[in-house]
Amino acid sequence: MRDRLKLILFPAVIFVFVLFALMLGVYFYNSMPIFHREGLDIYLKNIWNAAEEAEKEYYGILAAIWGSVYTSLVALIIALPLATAYSIFVVDYSPKKLKNILIILSDVMAGLPTIIYGIWGVFVLAPLLRRYIMQPLHDHFSFIPFFSYPPLSGFSYFSAGVLLGIMVTPFASAIIREAYQMIPFTYREAAYSLGTTKLEATKILLGYIRPAIYSGTILAFGRAVGETAAVSLIIGNTFNLTLALFAPGYTISSLIANQFGNAFIYSYMTSALFAAGLALFVIGLAVNILGIHMLRRWERNVKL
Amino acid sequence: MSSYDYSTRKIKEKAFLLIVAFLTFTMFIPLFHIFLTVFIRGFPVLAENGTKFITGTFQDGGIGPAILGTLMLVVLASLLGLPVALLVGIYAYEYPRSNIGKITKAILQIMLEFPTILVGIFVMQILVFPMGSYSALAGALSLAIIMMPYIAVYTTEALRQIPFTYREAAFGMGLTRIKVVFRILIPMAKRGILTGVLIGIAKVAGETAPLLFTAGGAYQTYYQGITKPVGAIPLLIYQLIQSPSNEYHEIAWGASLVLLIIFLALFIPVRLSLKEVKL
Amino acid sequence: MSITSADLAIETVRLKIWYGDNMVIKGINLKIPKNVVFALMGPSGCGKSTLLRAFNRLLELRENTRVEGEVRLFGKNIYREDVDPIEIRKDVGMVFQYPNPFPHLTIYDNVAIGVKLNGLVKNREELDKRVEWALKKAALWDEVKDRLRDYPANLSGGQRQRLVIARALAMKPKVLLMDEPTANVDPVGTKKIEELLFELKQDYTIVLVTHSPAQAARISDHVAFLYLGEIIEVGPTRKVFENPEHELTEKYVTGALG
Repeated sequence: MRDRLKLILFPAVIFVFVLFALMLGVYFYNSMPIFHREGLDIYLKNIWNAAEEAEKEYYGILAAIWGSVYTSLVALIIALPLATAYSIFVVDYSPKKLKNILIILSDVMAGLPTIIYGIWGVFVLAPLLRRYIMQPLHDHFSFIPFFSYPPLSGFSYFSAGVLLGIMVTPFASAIIREAYQMIPFTYREAAYSLGTTKLEATKILLGYIRPAIYSGTILAFGRAVGETAAVSLIIGNTFNLTLALFAPGYTISSLIANQFGNAFIYSYMTSALFAAGLALFVIGLAVNILGIHMLRRWERNVKL
Repeated sequence: MSSYDYSTRKIKEKAFLLIVAFLTFTMFIPLFHIFLTVFIRGFPVLAENGTKFITGTFQDGGIGPAILGTLMLVVLASLLGLPVALLVGIYAYEYPRSNIGKITKAILQIMLEFPTILVGIFVMQILVFPMGSYSALAGALSLAIIMMPYIAVYTTEALRQIPFTYREAAFGMGLTRIKVVFRILIPMAKRGILTGVLIGIAKVAGETAPLLFTAGGAYQTYYQGITKPVGAIPLLIYQLIQSPSNEYHEIAWGASLVLLIIFLALFIPVRLSLKEVKL
Repeated sequence: MSITSADLAIETVRLKIWYGDNMVIKGINLKIPKNVVFALMGPSGCGKSTLLRAFNRLLELRENTRVEGEVRLFGKNIYREDVDPIEIRKDVGMVFQYPNPFPHLTIYDNVAIGVKLNGLVKNREELDKRVEWALKKAALWDEVKDRLRDYPANLSGGQRQRLVIARALAMKPKVLLMDEPTANVDPVGTKKIEELLFELKQDYTIVLVTHSPAQAARISDHVAFLYLGEIIEVGPTRKVFENPEHELTEKYVTGALG
């Protein structure tokens, strides 16, 4: 082969392919026992019977799947308006110096070790939320299903969702801001030439980047679903298939973080957790492919 | 257009600006609150224990082994991940349209968003169980797997920033592809690549989840060898938070301050030296 | 003047070039004699830059290009299976439209790099000599001899382009390909480069792409007029300009076309 560069690079590429295949393989292989035993019950039931005798073991992680989705949705409800407002402010209103500072701050926020969010969430955020939001809402509106659960500890879907929202906001911000900035100048000119105020122009331009906002949202959801350390500290780690925001719960990742260490004691728990991991992987993959695909398609359209 | 109409529009405009500015400000409240809290709760712990907090073992009231462990894990992870990342990044740049190139890029993108806990239990399965023990090696392998796609993607991007004309100039001199890439293009892109390396390091230095089932944690002793368990600052914080002891919580705050300082010291200079980062 | 094959630097035979399905060079037979300045002129998009890059096989850097026919460099077809393009490029220097000295290398290293990486000199002393020789040849030595360790960022556009010429000359090529070398250079710099070409043709064959008929008239000995991938007219410069055979050529040289 004349192209010796390829020969040098190829082993590394093969290595990555093998590693990736091995990861998928390990997940599938280790999930098999639980699939053989329970079929799709592992995903469709809410049950966690860890028993010393293998016959009595039975696992269904529906509550954890629910928890992942539920907390991530709460996170998005918080992240989306903040990220959109941030993008508008940075691109349209803020003076250049402040703009740079805001972008750097957002990047710092995105890169901050998650365990720092975790410790702050446990000792600061959760007690604050319990005292000033969860307790009052429960006291006055407990007839609404969302607020029906008494916030005993503050560790709950709600706290986890809020913390996740704070954590993924800078991530969604970066995507939306970049899209907003990418709008060709001529469209801005066109909007303003119609005699619009900034508010009206912004409305028009936001419509223009709507697909980018959707994909930013989807990608932020992917981030939130995969987050582990901070969530597992604040979510309460209880199986709870409920709409009640103030109830403690589980997410897939916090379930794995909590149970994997001693799963080897049981015959099927490791397998159940690998199946949980597989679900996490598939959700993350689907969400990311969708988000990235939408973003690319939009970027291609903009460049025309 | 009546003047009344116009002034309503003006008021709406002002209100809109206020809302947008307020929400932007709100977004950063947690960040500042975190900085403040970590400092207020962490500083007394550091001040009280002095340098012993940084260097001492856990029974001396210090987190020395965790700091050393994080350092060791990062160095080891870089040794494992960096060469692969660079070569794969170059491949994705040089052969972007070949099938293997396309698959490579897709895999890197997937691995970039891979939940890190999944990497942890993968490594536990293939390394920790066979070896029969948590180890620095297993922890470092987890971090290397997480770091690799970051550095690879940054490498590809940094190379792609080089205008085509320089590529033509390099090939126009009759250089082999290897020399064009390693002697001309890589040195040209070194700043961007270095940024990627540092971002990758900053990222994994703060990771907790992939270490849960790999590094094991060791806080009474310093280095015991790469096949033995090792501590790490984020892992220590995670474990201390879950203990019921208030005293341990104090140490966790102190450790958080140390981690925050390390992160900012690494991240801020890198961030200031370039326009955009991808996290 | 009759030209025999032995006097030719470059000869193309039924040369066709495609970008994807799009044929951009449509069967060109061109003879470029040794030691002249040969201008390829034509409006933008006529394929002249593409044709130039066929002469050192630099086309291969782009995806989806396909070449048919022959390009003979001193009689040897460079598109034959067993020819290594890398060897060809050592004999064919190239200067680009955008002055592109490597920004991360010093002035000295920019000139030295090709020589060094191709192992053309034995030691440091020889390298120093070669760099000095090339910079003198490119009429840049006096302007940069005191700041060889500086980076090219501080040079003017014209100086940068002469640095690129020095980089190419340092390899001691036989042919120099120039793709609109003055397109991004100010008038003063342009004049210097044009004067330099006059000197260089003593030792080299220079193929120059230009979209300016005036420039072709000023500095070339032979000229080919390229339009939509075909040669409309080719010959000694004076003849083509003073007595064009083709109506299109006349329109082009008088500025009535594109």
